Amino acid sequence: MPQPLSAKENSLFRQVIRNYEDKQYKRGLKAAEQILKKNPKHGDTMAMKALIINQQGNTDEAFALGKQALMADMKSHICWHVYGLLYRHQKNFEEAIKAYKSALKLEPDSLQIQRDLAFLQVQMRDYQGYIQSRTAMLQARSQIRQNWTALAVAHHLAGDLTQAETVLTKYEESLKIPPSKTDFENSEAVMYKNTIIAEQGDYQRALDHLESIAKTNLDRLAVMELRAEYLTKLEKKEEAVKAYRALLDRNAEHPDYYNKLIEVMGIPDEDTAAKKAIYDEYSEKKPSLRCCQASASGFCDVFREAAKKYLTFMLDKGVPSTFANLKHLYVDSSKKEVLEALAHEYYEAKKSDAGEAKADDPFKGEGAALYYLAQHYNFHLSRDLTKAMEFVNKGIEKAPDNVEFQMTKARIIKHTGNTQKASEEMDKARNLDLKDRYINTKAAKYQLRNNETEKGLETVGLFTRNDSPAGPLNDLLDMQCIWFMTEDGEAQVRKGNVGLALKRFHTVYNIFDVWQEDQFDFHSFSLRKGQIRAYVDMVRWEDHVRDHPFYTRAALGAVKLYLDMHDGKTLTDGVNGDDKNGDAAERKKAAKKARKAEREAAEKAAKQDPNKPKAALAATTEPLVEATKFLVHLLTYTPKNLEAQLAGFEVYLRREKYVLALGCLNAALALDASHPTVHEHTIRFLTAIRSKMASLPPKVQEVIKSEFTAIAPSTDLEEFNDEFFAKHKGSVPHAIAAIKMKELVDEDEDKASVEKQLAALLGAPEITFEDAQTILTILRGSGSKELDEFKKKAAEKWPEVTAFA
Amino acid sequence: MERYKKIGGIHVVGFAACQSREPARELLHEVLSLPRPVLAPAVLRRRRRLAPQEDPYDYPKIVGYVLAKMEEEPTDGIQHGHITSLSVMRTHRKLGIAEKLMRQSPMVETFGAQYVSLHVRVSNQAAIHLYSKTLGFDREKIEEKYYADGEDAHCMKLDLSSIKEQVAAFAGGNDSDDASEAEDEGEPVGDVGKAGDEGKQIPSRPKETKRKVKVGRPLGVAGLVEKDESKHS
Repeated sequence: MPQPLSAKENSLFRQVIRNYEDKQYKRGLKAAEQILKKNPKHGDTMAMKALIINQQGNTDEAFALGKQALMADMKSHICWHVYGLLYRHQKNFEEAIKAYKSALKLEPDSLQIQRDLAFLQVQMRDYQGYIQSRTAMLQARSQIRQNWTALAVAHHLAGDLTQAETVLTKYEESLKIPPSKTDFENSEAVMYKNTIIAEQGDYQRALDHLESIAKTNLDRLAVMELRAEYLTKLEKKEEAVKAYRALLDRNAEHPDYYNKLIEVMGIPDEDTAAKKAIYDEYSEKKPSLRCCQASASGFCDVFREAAKKYLTFMLDKGVPSTFANLKHLYVDSSKKEVLEALAHEYYEAKKSDAGEAKADDPFKGEGAALYYLAQHYNFHLSRDLTKAMEFVNKGIEKAPDNVEFQMTKARIIKHTGNTQKASEEMDKARNLDLKDRYINTKAAKYQLRNNETEKGLETVGLFTRNDSPAGPLNDLLDMQCIWFMTEDGEAQVRKGNVGLALKRFHTVYNIFDVWQEDQFDFHSFSLRKGQIRAYVDMVRWEDHVRDHPFYTRAALGAVKLYLDMHDGKTLTDGVNGDDKNGDAAERKKAAKKARKAEREAAEKAAKQDPNKPKAALAATTEPLVEATKFLVHLLTYTPKNLEAQLAGFEVYLRREKYVLALGCLNAALALDASHPTVHEHTIRFLTAIRSKMASLPPKVQEVIKSEFTAIAPSTDLEEFNDEFFAKHKGSVPHAIAAIKMKELVDEDEDKASVEKQLAALLGAPEITFEDAQTILTILRGSGSKELDEFKKKAAEKWPEVTAFA
Repeated sequence: MERYKKIGGIHVVGFAACQSREPARELLHEVLSLPRPVLAPAVLRRRRRLAPQEDPYDYPKIVGYVLAKMEEEPTDGIQHGHITSLSVMRTHRKLGIAEKLMRQSPMVETFGAQYVSLHVRVSNQAAIHLYSKTLGFDREKIEEKYYADGEDAHCMKLDLSSIKEQVAAFAGGNDSDDASEAEDEGEPVGDVGKAGDEGKQIPSRPKETKRKVKVGRPLGVAGLVEKDESKHS
């Protein structure tokens, strides 16, 4: 029931609302108290008070009061609205929607509540609800174009293209005078309609519509591009050719235009001469067309000639990205060889006539050739680190102040596994140009790769805003600097700081949450601005924002940590000094210490950062639940990522969710059946099933029986494993997998004998230091007796590798 | 498709190696609050995967971007643009990317900008060279302590009337007088070559050049915050 107030209090109440809107919380609170003194159970006032308290940061208290307000006056739309706002503030959007709906039922004409509800619905992708809300909003105020466009967008997002178009057309028809041609909102809305027509697949109509708006539309480039696209789809080849040529006249460095032009001209793939002719035509017009020259030489018959021309031009000019622009050609080994030879040729020629060119830029000519060759031999498809080092040192000799040479030197050293030296050399590069953010960032990254986390932070801190007492980390957080969070997290893992590592990974996780929430503002903002196409693109992008590589990395890192936590593995496998922990007891002690430190770190972190107590929960009692939180997004948004499926298997197997584990295993098999870990998982799955099958519900048994087709359930696993071993002879990663599995499938083998065999792989002729690092990690994880000996031997074999030092 | 990449791409820039000051949100906001086409295309280099297995989630790598905007309420009453940020990755310099980005901006043809302005650190010789020598910007004045670290900024300005002519010439050539009426086989036709604009050095009298442009609605970020009870009482 509405609770009446006296005239005086009514005006006070209005004041409370005004104060709230003007953010005068103290005054508002005072006024609210005044009303409540006389009417202690006045729901609306209690609700407003709750809202103000909430704004002041007392969320829990606000929530309690909000509930009381609702109990006091269940029939008040204000109470329900406030209740919804409180939920919205807590980001519990489902409950907020329910509360808004209740409020709207009581006050169907409130535009404000309707708006708030609508934005939540689209945020939650409740498109049917959004259509309803938008229809109501349109009915309330149909003179505003925004409301029409918004309803069209609602239909569009819900997949009803015809309806979307109809709504837009209806508005257009209602216009009595045509909009001004500089009306940006109109220009955008018309183009939006055009894309909707095209999305329906009716390209002829889309083209006709486009032609009718072309001359007045402000987004000329879009008109040209769409026209070319529609003409292509309609197979009006001649006109399409013209359209793409017009685009190339505008921007001759757009690779897509060339590809499309070649396509509509009907030039067959193998006719490289004709293709080259097109590129040549435009590069003649504009001699600086490096991009297309590079592409041209990519498929040219007379590759050598084209490449030579290109390389000479670029090296003469000293373009630092020459190698980066050409390296994609290296997959073709004959081209790789040609480029190598050409670079040498160029270098020799320049070296001999060094006299004249010397005065100029040391990075041109000979210098550029040295830079190219250093990168060439550092590249994984043409790697020869000794040669790379030779060339880069020559370059440094020639130009000791050049950042690029020094930076490349650091990269070459990184590839030898010497993270310590690489970090030092990169820092030298940084010192050559202290104002450059790029090299500063590189130096920081190399420090993190070398587990120098404090130093790394300090280096990044040189380019952050440093007015926060908490140091650069706060600014990095504000800037949502996820590369740093991820790299630092991974470094903390290597150092054995589980708590801190988890905190970083959670930070990345939360940043993606924020990105998802960020779209909220734009549901109204973009409409007001009339930028519909960009808005729709954003909504669609948000739908898969978590397929981002940094989310994947952070999530995989976190899942791994939680798995280890579940398995009770020690995590003090840092590079720094775990060597003395010879026996198991010591190791346990160290682990205990680490866990304590981790808890303390977590507590400390929680104190510093009260908003993120979750991230500090390194000492969780349910690691698998936490792991699943990271995992679900991985599996939803990046199901084709093998690592994600492997992680999923590990989590679900431990949780005894066999059907889900099998799903991951099958997905992994489809992605890469010969991957060593997939082999392990196949064996582990069958082993688990053999012992557990009988205890599973019949339906689950049925699914497993029909879905597990990788190997027959009766397979002799020992034999299967041996076959795998033999089949992949010569590959150390496969050998590691097979040996690990022996413990499971071969009665004669135990932990100790398996570890011995793993350690013995060091003698394998094809072993790389990366393989040895993998073995080192396994031995460490299992607390093996072989560890120290292995490390010593590895250090002898690769004295430069920091991980064995 | 292309547009998705741009927006997604710009988002990437926000955190890519901390190369931009703006956090992603700010960038997203900036991108979406621009009159869309002013955003010149970010230069994308797809990472060409060399491994046999292609990663279907590989993000395009951004090696350069420009953020530009039309001034919402120009104090001088003249439609003009402002370059907020221009950046090219160190490894991809000397390719003319910055110039290309600046030249591709549809500020003139779509929004009828008369000039464009920007700020640059007085110590940033390379950038100053690009702006003044390659692109033809003029130094207007020095703004003291413009940057957070106390460094001064050159305030630079580029008169766009010559570009307007180029655009007009490209867009039709045959219809510089009244472009909007000329039917041209659907080929886009410029309206920037409107009568009276040509050859004017500095469009100093807004009266003649003033157009009705709706991009400048004064809705800032502050207007975004969800308000609540205004309709209650």
